[in-house]
Amino acid sequence: MTRLRRLLDRHATALTLAVIVILWEIAGRFQLVASGALPAPSDVLIRMWEDQADYWPHVAATVRTAFLGFVGGNVIAILAAILFVRWPLTERLSRGVNIAIFALPPIAIVPVLVLALPGEWPRLTLAAIAVYFPTMTAMVVGLTEVDPRSVELMRAYGGGEGAVMRWVRLRASLPALLGGLRVAAPNAVLGAILAEFGSGSRWGLGTYLLGSLGRADPARLWGIGLAATAIAGLAYALAALAASRVTDASRAVTIAAGATPASEPIGRSGGHRVAIAVVALVLPFAIWWGLLALSGLSPIIAKTPLGVFDYLFLPPTAANAQARLLSALAETLPIMVVGMAAGLGFAFLLAVAGAVRPGIVRALMPIALVTQTMPLVALTPLLVLIFGRGVAVTVAITVSVTFFPAYVTLAQGLSMVPKAAFDLVRAYGASGWRALRMVALPASLPWLFAAARLAVPRALLGVMIAEWLATGRGLGNLLNQSRGYLDYGMIWTVALVSVLVSVILYQLAVGLERLATARR
Amino acid sequence: MNMMMDRRRFLGTAAAGLAVGAMPGLLRPARAATPLNFQAAWINDAEFCGYFAAIDQGYYEAEGLDLTYMPGGPDVIPESTLISGRADVALTTPDTTIKAIVDQGAPFKIIGTQYQKNPIGIVSLASNPINTPADLVGKTLAVPPVNVISVEAMLKLNDIDKAEVNIVPYAYDPTPLIKGEIDASLDFTTNVPYTIEQAGEKATSFLLYDFGFTIYNDTVVVTEETLAAKRKELVAWLKASRKGWDDNLADPAVWPPKFADTWFKGTGRTIENEIFFNTAQKPLIETPKGIFFMDEDGIQKNIDALAAIGIAATKEMFDTSLLEDM
Repeated sequence: MTRLRRLLDRHATALTLAVIVILWEIAGRFQLVASGALPAPSDVLIRMWEDQADYWPHVAATVRTAFLGFVGGNVIAILAAILFVRWPLTERLSRGVNIAIFALPPIAIVPVLVLALPGEWPRLTLAAIAVYFPTMTAMVVGLTEVDPRSVELMRAYGGGEGAVMRWVRLRASLPALLGGLRVAAPNAVLGAILAEFGSGSRWGLGTYLLGSLGRADPARLWGIGLAATAIAGLAYALAALAASRVTDASRAVTIAAGATPASEPIGRSGGHRVAIAVVALVLPFAIWWGLLALSGLSPIIAKTPLGVFDYLFLPPTAANAQARLLSALAETLPIMVVGMAAGLGFAFLLAVAGAVRPGIVRALMPIALVTQTMPLVALTPLLVLIFGRGVAVTVAITVSVTFFPAYVTLAQGLSMVPKAAFDLVRAYGASGWRALRMVALPASLPWLFAAARLAVPRALLGVMIAEWLATGRGLGNLLNQSRGYLDYGMIWTVALVSVLVSVILYQLAVGLERLATARR
Repeated sequence: MNMMMDRRRFLGTAAAGLAVGAMPGLLRPARAATPLNFQAAWINDAEFCGYFAAIDQGYYEAEGLDLTYMPGGPDVIPESTLISGRADVALTTPDTTIKAIVDQGAPFKIIGTQYQKNPIGIVSLASNPINTPADLVGKTLAVPPVNVISVEAMLKLNDIDKAEVNIVPYAYDPTPLIKGEIDASLDFTTNVPYTIEQAGEKATSFLLYDFGFTIYNDTVVVTEETLAAKRKELVAWLKASRKGWDDNLADPAVWPPKFADTWFKGTGRTIENEIFFNTAQKPLIETPKGIFFMDEDGIQKNIDALAAIGIAATKEMFDTSLLEDM
């Protein structure tokens, strides 16, 4: 490697950022993109400066909501993880609930949260839901993957499971937990903004975004997006700082989220296992039912599982409802699969490129992060102007929301390929790419499925958002139209179906993953 | 906590008490105010100026109401907040309200209307003008998904096949219209033309109302249960709100600047925009019989327009008796 190349690699992030900002400035200044709908970064900053008096109360509100949701969601997630590890049966029973929480599309639940909960609770709840899954999975891995010798030692001195939990597991879980919090922190910010946007709150960046949308002022919208990104990035950095302070915990949570759920059978007999699976399947429905009963909402709004069944199959309008649902699904599903495949494909290519040339990764990471925190609704006009309102725009949005988590997981997987394996093929004269093909690709296969699993609910959400804001088709449009018509039977049906689609594809990925792992 | 703090806090409280006592507008009536929750249809903008004026002038308190004003948003469905009991009275679009009564058996009554003429219309650029429904043929029109039936009704009433208009979703941002990606959009004609003119284009628009889709908008809706239990309070609400609207519309340029640091603070919109909006909506709200009024003829027009899209509205869904009690 030449000195110049080493220098370039070391400063890759700063260099790429500089190049991108310059290109962006030129594109904005000379109105090169989407007939000038892309504002120059200098215009965005000037606009933010002019608007600064507006920003502070909105930023304060968003930070407050995100923080409270973050704390609440994490306390629940940590307690749940301890419960799951201390009594593994509870984990098996809760699996359906956990996946359902992971797969819940926020655009389907905000309208219901707004009705079921008073004041700022809908916003706090959405932020809390957004952090639960990453923290819980990270904590479970942290509590499980402990040094077996420590456990043996505790047991040898007569310590029970409680003592092991207290003295070994909880202490050992800290690095993984902090890794989980790092992913959870920006999630809380995004959840808060999404809820503010919809719920009619007076303050918050989401509210500011909504009020600003009608002004046809892209510089303002990008400014709000950058503010959101800054808060999310700050939250990420704070969590990362805490992690590096406490331990050398460079291990990202994606290991946790990427790890295959423990599959060792707990039940003694086949019958026992089936019983557990049935409870795991029924539990989310029971909780759904129970929460509605507690909320005391009118049956016009609150559809129980039975209510959804009734809506879809019993009345004379059922055939019409089914037809609308099926035609929407037929529009949404194929494009979701295509978008997801494209997102995973891009992530895979970049991860592979990064394994060969690490500088590329450092260069593109900041941009990838920004795509995760820019509110999509602010970008829709630009995307529509660039990609039109057909399949292209839906795929573009889906790729943008699935790419990042998939990429992080895959890069993680590739980085865990034993160095010795690379050295071996290199010693035999293989090039970097060849080493990749012979060693890294086979080794990363399970990670590809793990990435697919993470990407499933996001892909569906991406497609639904594109349908709602740009194309006017499919499940996203059906959901939005049903909301306006107070067609709560259809709203709950779409929410249920989107969770089911996510869960089925998720389980498919788990199955394929096991198959791939078993074959090796 | 030390003595200093306590004393300071006491003094502060006393001063605040004196200040309130000194302001005649804030003097509460002797009887205890009845709480009433009001759900608006959107985030704070000029559409709700009359209520802001009434609150600031103390009209609700004078009527014995302790009003809680709730802004709306894309995920807030005003009718749903009525059913869930979070609001006592809400502003809605009559087509969705009546559709909910017919399809879902929702127990709603329409007791008044803010807009005599629905401000929703087709907005386009003067450089590519769409002045009548017929001009829409072969064009791309952006419509919020919930308003698609309104547009389909208007097309049907004008004998235009809806397949001849390319309807796409409208995502609150007029940029695609200004950039020519779409030819027209459905929006409040009282609002968007201002934004378009700020962007250096001229706007042209027509109301769906003027082409046969003769419905009200921001209809005042309550549940039958609330109507029975809080009739007196609802009449009081209508009275106070009408006073607020009368004040506000007397000169539409006066009130929006007064809300700059309160109701309109940080909304992301400009006061000039609100003045434009307030001025443009005046002729759509005012009626010689008094704001919120619904007459036989207007109700019949709503019923006829909704019949065009197969929504079977009836006179019983409107209750004009509260307006008569005012």
